[in-house]
Amino acid sequence: MSETKTETQIPVTVLTGYLGAGKTTLLNRILSENHGRKFAVVINEFGELGVDNDLVVDADEEVFEMNNGCICCTVRGDLIRIIGGLMKRKGRFDGIIVETTGLADPAPVAQTFFVDEDVKRATKLDAIVTVVDAKHLPARLKDSPEAQEQIAFADIIVLNKMDLVTPEEGDEVERLIKAINPYAEIRRSTKSDVPLESVIGRDAFNLARILEREPDFLEHDDHEHDSEVNSVSFEVSKPIDAEKFNAWISQLLQTKGQDLLRTKGILYYAGDNRRFAFQAVHMIADGDYIGEVKEGDPRKSKIVFIGRDLNRPQLRRGFEACQVEG
Amino acid sequence: MAEVSEDAFLLASRGVARDLGAWVVGAVFDAANRAAFVLADGTLRLPDAGEWRAITAHEGGILSAAADIKDGWLTGGDDGLLMRTAPDGSTTRIADYKGKWVDHVAAHETGLRAAAVGKTVHLLGPAGPLKALAHPSSVGGIAFDTKGKRIAASHYNGASLWFVGAKEDKPRVLEWKGSHHAIAFSPDGTHVVTAMQEPALHGWRLTDGQHMRMSGYPTKTRSIAFTSKGRWLATSGAESIVLWPFFGGGPMGKAPTELAGGDEVMVTAVACHPQHEVVAAGFGDGLVLMAEIASGKVVPVAPPSGSPVSALAWSPNGAGLAFGTEAGRAGIVDLSRRS
Repeated sequence: MSETKTETQIPVTVLTGYLGAGKTTLLNRILSENHGRKFAVVINEFGELGVDNDLVVDADEEVFEMNNGCICCTVRGDLIRIIGGLMKRKGRFDGIIVETTGLADPAPVAQTFFVDEDVKRATKLDAIVTVVDAKHLPARLKDSPEAQEQIAFADIIVLNKMDLVTPEEGDEVERLIKAINPYAEIRRSTKSDVPLESVIGRDAFNLARILEREPDFLEHDDHEHDSEVNSVSFEVSKPIDAEKFNAWISQLLQTKGQDLLRTKGILYYAGDNRRFAFQAVHMIADGDYIGEVKEGDPRKSKIVFIGRDLNRPQLRRGFEACQVEG
Repeated sequence: MAEVSEDAFLLASRGVARDLGAWVVGAVFDAANRAAFVLADGTLRLPDAGEWRAITAHEGGILSAAADIKDGWLTGGDDGLLMRTAPDGSTTRIADYKGKWVDHVAAHETGLRAAAVGKTVHLLGPAGPLKALAHPSSVGGIAFDTKGKRIAASHYNGASLWFVGAKEDKPRVLEWKGSHHAIAFSPDGTHVVTAMQEPALHGWRLTDGQHMRMSGYPTKTRSIAFTSKGRWLATSGAESIVLWPFFGGGPMGKAPTELAGGDEVMVTAVACHPQHEVVAAGFGDGLVLMAEIASGKVVPVAPPSGSPVSALAWSPNGAGLAFGTEAGRAGIVDLSRRS
């Protein structure tokens, strides 16, 4: 997550999605398009289809818990090993694509890029891309926590197989997605035919780009919740007390980190003319200053939580209490 | 070591170094003290007098290397092959694991070879495969004991200890939660130590299963080595060479000894002299030095070249020290007495 070595860090795209959603079609599309870029592809052993690429590595999806007292701090050991091996031959590829199995929780993959020092040094997470099947997603969301998590974690959602649904059904699926994660960019497609640049080279985990995209729905729309996972966001206009915020957010991530899938924030600290960006995957947090406050900037601090069982009033009170009094 | 002049490094007076253009995976001496640099581009480079020979052993990259049974070198690649390269430069395919990465290799003079492929450790004799040892998760490292009677494999939540000659393969499982990588037997075969995902080591005393936790490192430890008599365990992962005492009741309740620190650069590789209590260390900036444990005296070997030392080894007779870096710089120094 370091911002200093971005030029030498290899971007990694994580491709998630339920079995049959069109993940492998998207992968083969990325690989076969004539873009002059070379990718190393890490696929799970039980992949749906063959992948035609020079550099394909079989992965085992071995998840283990870090010994740091944090029960949700799980990482993919196989990925650490594979990236270590790939990095010994840099120059063969410009990016890495990691495909996960349909039932995979994306958290361990994402956390690997925050936690392992060697992986952090060599690579950076570019984006989590989730492919969903427009026809079957509503049913999946009802019966599968993984399907919800894959949407919650996504930076880009490829809403695929649009040819199999009516326009109304398509809109309804989008509504379901936005109820979970209004911050992901949704790309409608049939046969995963989305432009390459919409899924590759997104730099979505760059702190400087956090919350750059405003969600295109009514912010305080109180839709009924179809799934356990949803999102809340709060904005305050008074400056934030850095110490109070740190104390609150650390405590919150410590106690509720298992349910908080992704957290993002832009903060204006009292007496500081810089913007502070913050993000977390479960309990693992990362933050840094991302430059001077711009002229005419409204200086509104904002925080977004995507997770399970979010207690909106409690979170709001917590964030509001971080403001400087007076 | 910032004030040391170039001439003071042993490399200037007794060595030779080259830029080989690929990550040095291993600097490996065979039993006859012949060195090979094993590179991630699939080649071995033999530092003969004059031109260094380049031998292509793998189609893809090389992931692991060890001295082969009697002479030559054993390598595992991302092409799924286990290859032998003989001192004359000829190569032989020992096994083909069908494109699966061969992550770790080891060999023993009694005629054993081992290759870790995913969760399996394949054990081979001079004539071919002997057995396949299955583990609950991917293998992070393998090591034979000094006599070649047992092989240890690290994995998630511990390590497995196998008797090579057992009729029925049932491992002794050494449990400790977490992900374990590099693994080493103490020379007398009484202790097994692993390096973990967290910046810590874990050890087991095999006689009674006593656990040993060795922590306090600022970064992951990648390289661990016992001194020849097993009195010390030298480790990388800190700004100095960290040595844990395996005598006088240690390492439990004992503080480690630190050598050659002070430059705020991490030790990335260690290698212990085959006879004396002398340890060589490579640093994150490419610096290589050796230190005598008893006196703490440090001798500079190679100046910083800007890239972390990724490979470091002594020759079995103790007269040669070879090193390599991630950026592909490789060097070898001759320490034999000059007449």
